[in-house]
Formats: sequence, structure tokens, C-alpha cells
Amino acid sequence: MITLNLNVNGKDHRLEIEDHMRLLDVIRGPLGLTGTKEGCGEGECGACTVILDGNAVDSCLVLAAQCEGKKIVTIEGLETADGLDPVQQAFLDNGAVQCGYCIPGMVLSAKALLDKNVAPDDNEIKEAISGNLCRCTGYDKMVKAIKTASEVMQERGEQK
Amino acid sequence: MLKRGRGIALSWYGTGYGNGFPDYSVATVELAENGEILLRVGATEVGQGSKTIMPQVCAEVLGIHSDQVHMICEDTREFLDSGTAAASRQTYNTGNAVLKASESFKKALLEEARLYLKLNSTAGLEMADQKIWLPIFPSRKTTFAELASHLKSEGRVLAVTDSFTAQTIGMNPETGEGVPYWPYTFNAYGTEVEVDTETGRVQVLQAWCVQDVGRAINPDLVEGQIDGGFVMGLGYALYEDLGVKDGVIKNNKFAKYIIPTAMDIPTIHKYIVEDPENTAPYGAKGIGEPTMVPVAPAILNAIYDAIGIRIFELPATPDVVLKAIVADREAKAKAAVAEGADANG
Amino acid sequence: MSTLKSVGQRIQRKDARAKLTGTALYPQDIEMENCVYGATVRSEIPHGYFTLDLTEAEKAPGVIRIFTAADVTGHNVHGVLFKDHEVLCARKVRRVGDPIAFVVAETQAQADDACALVKVSYEALPAVFDPKEAMKEGAPQVHDGKDNLIYHYKCRRGDVTKGFADSAVVIEREYVSPFVDHVFLQPESGLAYMEEDKVIVVASTQYPHFDQIEVAEAIGWELEQVVILNPVVGGAFGGREDISMQIHLALATIALGRPVKTTMAREESFYAHSKRHPVFMRLKVGAAEDGKLLALEAELHGDTGAYASWAINVMRKAGVHITGPYEIENVFVDSYSVYTNNPYAGAMRGFGATQVPVAYEQHMDILAEALGMTPYEIRMKNLFRKGSVTANGQVLTESVPLETCLEILNQAMNGGSEAAGLDAASSGTKAVPGSDSAAVQERSVTEHA
Repeated sequence: MITLNLNVNGKDHRLEIEDHMRLLDVIRGPLGLTGTKEGCGEGECGACTVILDGNAVDSCLVLAAQCEGKKIVTIEGLETADGLDPVQQAFLDNGAVQCGYCIPGMVLSAKALLDKNVAPDDNEIKEAISGNLCRCTGYDKMVKAIKTASEVMQERGEQK
Repeated sequence: MLKRGRGIALSWYGTGYGNGFPDYSVATVELAENGEILLRVGATEVGQGSKTIMPQVCAEVLGIHSDQVHMICEDTREFLDSGTAAASRQTYNTGNAVLKASESFKKALLEEARLYLKLNSTAGLEMADQKIWLPIFPSRKTTFAELASHLKSEGRVLAVTDSFTAQTIGMNPETGEGVPYWPYTFNAYGTEVEVDTETGRVQVLQAWCVQDVGRAINPDLVEGQIDGGFVMGLGYALYEDLGVKDGVIKNNKFAKYIIPTAMDIPTIHKYIVEDPENTAPYGAKGIGEPTMVPVAPAILNAIYDAIGIRIFELPATPDVVLKAIVADREAKAKAAVAEGADANG
Repeated sequence: MSTLKSVGQRIQRKDARAKLTGTALYPQDIEMENCVYGATVRSEIPHGYFTLDLTEAEKAPGVIRIFTAADVTGHNVHGVLFKDHEVLCARKVRRVGDPIAFVVAETQAQADDACALVKVSYEALPAVFDPKEAMKEGAPQVHDGKDNLIYHYKCRRGDVTKGFADSAVVIEREYVSPFVDHVFLQPESGLAYMEEDKVIVVASTQYPHFDQIEVAEAIGWELEQVVILNPVVGGAFGGREDISMQIHLALATIALGRPVKTTMAREESFYAHSKRHPVFMRLKVGAAEDGKLLALEAELHGDTGAYASWAINVMRKAGVHITGPYEIENVFVDSYSVYTNNPYAGAMRGFGATQVPVAYEQHMDILAEALGMTPYEIRMKNLFRKGSVTANGQVLTESVPLETCLEILNQAMNGGSEAAGLDAASSGTKAVPGSDSAAVQERSVTEHA
């Protein structure tokens, strides 16, 4: 067992975990944040994507022990008192959700992209979510949703 | 060299269990205590949108917003058996059961309103926005919520169940004569591809999907099905193979069983064609499966248009396409040599 | 029908918000107190008899009990058409991946580890992997006492010999569609627990009431004592029609009195559900000089692997749809469903009708080229219209807008500015624009005006 300090969705946690645990196991287990999904366990599908210190990562490929002192954002951390995150809202408005299993990872990959590059072109969007497999939607409405979110975030940026 | 080509394909798809098997769906519409509606119907939400469109059908009949209709399809104690969420049958079949149950419920609710408002008849009663009133004497009015609490005070629940069974006829086993399915959904899809003749890689650049739907209950969801069906068809045509050898699945992980990513999708132009089917709920037919059916041949025909080579066995992976290109080149070279020999002789 | 208020509206999906905020619960997201975990031991050979030695596995850390065929309290069978699956195989396996034991332990990792300690001794039998081979006399019998050929669809219409004789062009080709997987993103997961005298089974399924019947019969309980809870389903596409682990979970929770959960890794998921039927297709079509289709002959061999699942309905659908949406007077179709020792095939999006256009729509282009016609022309010449009669003798009386579809497609692909719906209004058909089709939107507005 080791002690692990994590900041998850803005809140500090001190956890006792087994050394072999993956970040995904800690998020879904002790932290109880089951919005992060497991689809393959080998970094191919992206369902377990979280944002780790600003970067979208497959949490099934990250050892929890390597995350000491790091900041993690999961899907549960996006909604604020002001409402849904622009990416979530845009997915809702564009009808980009079907079965939903890939959605948390997809949304977080999109958010990580837009936080770094608020005005990506279509190719940059597609590349950013190319590690997130979706079997239902055909991606089209997702790409449109991410463009919508980009526009909303740019407008908000200008207003600030 | 990069070569472009275009191809089209048509398809038809008979929805439902078919072949005379009783394709039965049933729904229960119930007045909740707060005056909203509970729709108990076993149309599993698998991502296709049944939990959105079934309430739309019910809301249409009752003149309310579909947000006021709450569908229950998760616990076998809470609803009756409406068959499987497959065969593209829920919109048509179960949608019809929802339509009929909603109409029967409307009648029953108007009768409750007649009793509550002490009227001779339900004739002339209007229903909209969770209100019921008599336009020729507008003060005779009530609401769904008022009727619900009245029913509760009498210890009653208003719940109405109705069902629908589709019409098909079992086929003659020797000739195939019969009605295997009804209705059918049609479509015409086209693609433009680019084939890299050095690597055999095929990229789909554009897609045109013209989809018959009877009527679109929710165009957003129809488009979602078209996108998803197209992209699943793209994977079927170009990437997906389990590599089954001696009964073993060689490609049993995503690293080997390749499905399309966002990088692989073309621009998808979508056209929804409405030609309502009389036996369907507001004319709507099933489209979940049909959206995938014409995709692979539309791509294969485009590959042929691009490079003059037919792929007879799926999937058309780069190595398969490249092999076919090389074989074609060699065959043509041989033919040229033979022709040259003929000319010399 | 312009008075519709709810139907036809782009209503936001009711389940989208929960899915976007991470609150939607799939089976793997549900944990219960005092829960134990199960893992399945699966066969490693495609065909053979086996015996089990559980000694080592039973001693492994955390192992509570190992369930085998002897522990199935009702009928040790399930299946959507034929009851040809065993809940847990008793003495013979028919494919790689057949379930033969269900190990329950205190944690999922302990259950998974103990699976490897279950010793399975096989006595391999000859296996067959090709449906045409499997139909031959003397082929290995996948199910004892039962023919490998389980279904033969026949369509006999008109006189194909005459049709081919009258044809200007006759084309014959063979096409192959392989094994394909649904790969829904959510791998199989489920849990079961007791609630008074009822067993509650939680699992993603396409058809909860059918699962209820299958579980009740296999455990030997009354239907009313079995409850299926279907939480959020992470995609299905036909792959969640057959039972995967539901009965194992019910048996285990009844025996142990504790909640039992199991979650499959992706690799196991590939063995846990059905596949798209591979179909071997021979198609011969004759057409007149003007492109009119005169005769069609087809032979379709569908490989259903070790279990029937929906094989009959799938190959029936393939046989019906192989004509394409075209009027053809003379049709002769044979479509077969055959057992082999391959992974089992069942329902997958399109259900037999997805495989056959790989043949019939490529064939249309081959015929067109041979006749010096365009792909558009040959289709326009033959496609179903209102009043058309199918090869089964069914009259298509309404809602057959295929000509409109092809017209719109043709216009959209060739310029597109005037695309769509031009002639539609007169035929009672309305073209509604997709969201990215401004050109059609204008047309649609014009129509409404």
C-alpha cells in the first residue's frame, strides 16, 4: 500500500492505494467517479480519458502511483454552478450523444483540445478525438459539437 | 498515385420479425400523480433514441410536450413485453402500440373529465397543454393534474394499455411466396473515394446518404442513425475482419480489430425523404439497420470507378487492394506481352 | 400533416444529459455491499470432449465456489430460436470460447486468476470451419444427432432458364462477407442479487423480457421470481440479444446468497457475444439489351458457427433481399444456415440484408458496364416503385420512394444546386433537408410556399 495525494475536480484527496493500481482503478474505485469508463484496458478506445495536468490521457495506461500531487479532471468535474461546460452543452445541443459510453472520454479529449487551442480547424478536432472510439454516432455530430463549443468559448473569451 | 472514383448503391430492408411470426408490441399510458404521463413500454434504449421518440408519439396524441412524458423501460416488473429492440422494429411496431395506447388513454381521460365536469358527453371537449375544456362554455375546464388528484382521492389510477401486431404472411417453404416483411425501408447512398495505388489505402472523401424514413419523428436522431450506420458500413467495407482461423479469433482487441476513428470519416451529406406509410405511427418506418446496408457496395463501386478493380471479398484493406492492383498490373502486362507476341508472329 | 407539434421536431435526447455528466449508470458502474465477483472459464479448442479438475483453483486465494454444468438447477440450455447453447458446457465444447465453468471469488482479480488454475483436459474431435464443407456427408457433427444444415430458404419464381436464355448479358460472380463484430463500446457486465424470493439480474440487454424467460427456465424458477433490470446500454447492434452471463450470475447469487458481479475484458467480450454471419454468395444475373433484369439465381451459404442464435431469420432475410430492390420476373434462390465450429453468429445490424448488397449492388455495376449503361440508368430501369411485386409475390402498395431517393442522390452528386425533391411533390413525397444541405432546404421551403 502507498499513500497518494491527488487533486480531483478541484478537491484534494489523500488515498491509501495498492501500488499496482491504475489511475482508472483509483478514479472508479476509491474515488467512486464511475463516469470514467473502461472500454479496452489497453489505451486503444479512449473511454477512460481524463485530463491530467491539462493533458488528455488514457487513465488505463497511467499508474496511479505516478500521479502524486497531480491535478485530474473527470467528467463529473465539468459542470459548475453556471451550468454545463460549453463542450457538454454543445454535445447536448448538437445531438452528438447516442449510447453514451464513449461520451465522457470524448468530451474530455475535446475540452483538453479547446483549453489549449480555442479555435481548432476540422482536422485538428478530428485528430484530437481520434484516440476516442465511438461505435454509434459516426463522429459527425461530435465534430460539429466541438466546433460549436469552440465558438461559444471564443465569444466568452472576447467578453472577458 | 492517388486515384478518385465515385460509386452508388441502392438497398431495401424489411423491418420487423416478419414471415408471419406475430410481431406484437404493447404499451401502457398512465396518468401520474402530478398530471404528467408515465409511458410504460418495453422498447429498450440502446442508444438509438427510443426513450426520446416514443414520448414524442405519445405527446403528439395528447397535445402536450414530450418532456411531460416519462418513459419506463428498465425493470421487467414495470412494463409489458414489447419484443426486442432489434429488427429496426421499435419505431414502427412499438410506435404503433404507443400511438394506439395514447389514443385509448385520451378517450379514457376525456371520459374522466366528463364525469368530473358533470357533462352529458365528451363531445366537443378539447385537450391541449395538460388542460381539458369545453370551448362552448369555457368555465367547464380542468387539468391533467386536477384529474390526477381527483382520481387519487378515489383510490384509482388511470392506466390504459393497447397493442399492435404487424401484418406479415409466412412464406411457402418451397417457393418463397408470402409476405416476409412489411413495411420496407429504402435508400440510395453514394460515395467518393481516393485510392492510393502505392499503398492500397482507400480514403472515403464524401458520402451522400438519401434515406427514406416514411416520416422522421425526430430528424436529429435520424441523422444520428445515418451517420452511425454510414461509418459502421465504412468499417465493414474497409477495415473490419476478426481474422478467424481454426475457430480462433485472431483480432480480438482494438489494436487489431480496426474500426473507424474520427480521422476516417468523410463529409456526410444527409437527405431525409418522407413518404409516410399508412400503417405506421404518423407514417414512420424503421431506419436503424437500413442506414448501414448500402454503404459497403457504394464504397466498393467507387473503388472500381477509381482503379478499375473489383474487390469480391471484404474487407478491402490496404493489403487486399494492393494485392489486387499488383495482380491486375501483372495480368495486363502478360496480356500485352501475349499481344506483342501475336503481332510479331 | 403540418399540424404536428411533437412528431417531426428536433427534440433533445432525454438520456443525453445524464450521459454527458457521467451520472448514467451502466452495469459496470453499479457496486453493491458484500458483493463477490465471477469470471468465466472458456474452452480453448473448437470441438471436443473435456473433463475438469478444480482442485487447484478451489484452493486459490479468495475463491468461494466454482460453478459447473452440474450446478445448473433448471434446464442447462438457452438460445433465441433453438435451445442449443449450454449455460455451462457439460462434456463437449463446440467452439473456442464456450463457457465451461464460472469461478466466484472475493474480488474480480482473484476470480480471473483462479480461472487459469482450472485444469481442463480435452479429447479433441475433428472440427469443421467452412459451411460448405459442413454440409457434406461425413462432416464433423457440431451438435450430436443433428444435421449441420439447419435451414434452407428457397425462392422459386418464374423460369430462370428461360430468363437467362433471353438475356443479352449474363454475369456470374462469387462474393464473400467475413466475420464481423459489433464492438459496442461497453463490454459485457452484469450483477445479480436476491430481493426476498426474487432473483434480480442487472445486465445490458436488448430484450429484458426474453432474458427473463431464459434465466427462469435455466434456473428452474417461476417467471415471476425473475426480474431483469436493464440499466443504461452502451451500444448493442444485435450483439446483446443472446444471453452472455445473466444465467451464471443468477445461479451464483441464489447459491451464495450474496450479490455477484462480473465484468468482461474486451478480449473476452469478443468471445461472449455473436458475430455477423459470414456469407459466401454466388450470384448470377441476366439482363436484356435495354438493361431490364430478366433472371436472377443465387446461392448463399451462411456460417452460423457453433450455435444457431438467429441463423434461420438471418439467412431468410439474406435470401429475400438478394434480389435487391428490383423487379425481376424469374428468380431462383437457395440460402442456407449451417453449423460449424467457428465463433457463433447471430444478429448484427442489417441481419443478412447487409451482406447481400455487397453482391447485388456490385453486380448491377458489372451488368451496367457490360451493357454500356451508367450505374444510375440500370438502377432507374429496374427499381421498385409503387405497385411493384417482389420475388416473394408481395405487392408494394405504398411508401416506396426509391426512385425519389435515386433522383435526389443523382442530382446531389452531380452538381447539387438544384438537388432534391424537384419532382417529389407530385408523387406525394417530400424531401426534407439534412442539416448540412442548404440547397435542399431552399427546395423544401419552396415546396411549403
